[in-house]
Amino acid sequence: MQLTAIGTVAVTIVMLGTFLYVRDTVSSFGTGILKQIEIAVYLGDDVDDARAKSIAAKIAGDARVTGVRYIPRKQGLREMRERLGRDFDTSLLTANPLPNAFRVQVKDADDVPAVAASIARIPGVAKADFAADTVTKLLRAAAVLGRVGLGMIALLVLTAAIIIANTIRLTVFARRREIAIMQLVGATGMYIRMPFIAEGILAGVLGALVAIAVLAVAQYEVIPKIAATLAFLPLHVDVLQLAGQLLLTGAAVGLVASWFSVGRYLRV
Amino acid sequence: MIELRGVTLTYPNGTRALDDIDLSIGKADFVFLVGHSGTGKSSLLKLLYRECVPNSGEVTVDNIRVDKLRRGKVAALRRNIGVVFQDFKLLPNKTVWENVAFALQVTGARSKDVMRQVPRALDLVGLSHKSRMLPGELSGGEQQRTAIARALVNNPKILLCDEPTGNLDPSNTTEIIELLQRINLKGTTVLVATHNQAVVDRMRRRVVRLENGRILHDDERGYYFRGLGTSPILSG
Repeated sequence: MQLTAIGTVAVTIVMLGTFLYVRDTVSSFGTGILKQIEIAVYLGDDVDDARAKSIAAKIAGDARVTGVRYIPRKQGLREMRERLGRDFDTSLLTANPLPNAFRVQVKDADDVPAVAASIARIPGVAKADFAADTVTKLLRAAAVLGRVGLGMIALLVLTAAIIIANTIRLTVFARRREIAIMQLVGATGMYIRMPFIAEGILAGVLGALVAIAVLAVAQYEVIPKIAATLAFLPLHVDVLQLAGQLLLTGAAVGLVASWFSVGRYLRV
Repeated sequence: MIELRGVTLTYPNGTRALDDIDLSIGKADFVFLVGHSGTGKSSLLKLLYRECVPNSGEVTVDNIRVDKLRRGKVAALRRNIGVVFQDFKLLPNKTVWENVAFALQVTGARSKDVMRQVPRALDLVGLSHKSRMLPGELSGGEQQRTAIARALVNNPKILLCDEPTGNLDPSNTTEIIELLQRINLKGTTVLVATHNQAVVDRMRRRVVRLENGRILHDDERGYYFRGLGTSPILSG
């Protein structure tokens, strides 16, 4: 009976742990991409170095901006050549087509569109560009993922709670004679409750431990293989913290589930 | 010690178990509560140890308004009330000693007190020599004596007995009633719900007769049936 509860809790928490792991990975992957997003600010042809400096100061003055890098047109061309390598045939160019530019880094990816819009309004700025589509889509995906994640976690936790509550109810039922006598001779409600609460917490913690063991095996056996195949994925989840979270979740679910289960049965 | 004033109890299914009961029982009294099955004897006892709450009226036990008692205080009340049932309610997998000690252990008694009080209770009911036996190895009378020892081990002021001899043969019945009388002589208030006419008529103690949830009569030194107790057949 107790084994069923522990097993089901373990399965639930393995699912929860996997989900949290995937969510953390995706979110750190997403954050990584978002961090790389810069605003490309192109200056008008008539802007000289002095004016460029004052525009840079103005952009840097925005609290949301973390860095401004000035890229003169010559450097811009060089960088483009390096990036595109042989695909870029410079012999076709008669003059440098690139304007002087800034690369602007923004602290919070959410602010990128607004910062870009405000930079575009500065006189002398011809264009403030960013990967608008990518940024907004990523932000939206991250938000949806977060919400779906919360919903899934709630469902999984609820499942575990119901299973523990039912197990405790069966235990209470099996010991009903003893409980009736305890109540009769004046044992306090808390005294009667405690063993069942302890059992609920134990079921939750044991389930979580089994789950953590399974996830640990996955961490050392499966993750390196995925990391080798998908090198771009940052698989740096704080495993200890995750284990702690799962253990706490197990214990909390066990506590709450058994508390309500016993309370409803005993009316104490 | 026990006071009921205008007590009415109706169960959720609509059955009126008790109807406007007034009853007063003094300290160290011995009272028989008699009547047919379903006349409200058990319900009246349940009110006293707060298994039930009346719909109206006042229930006072040892100066405590039981009908107004908060749930958290029920445990303390019950430590002052011993309850014995027809079916003994012993734990079959615990020995006599363990069954009696259980009542102390679950109320947080120190093991020193358990070691002192359990032998005293077992001695009182005359079961010291069978303390290591399981309930299944005892006669009905011995099982009931174990249950009485458990009810008394906390030194309660009141002992409530709900058909304590219902499952016993005449000789065991006599044994249990004599034990209850001895307990009463030590100053414990004893209230016995029974429909054992022979016992009631032989004892000649206070008899409260219930019928359809009402007190029909309440006699000092009474008989099971008022006026019939002197019949040679029944009192023999």
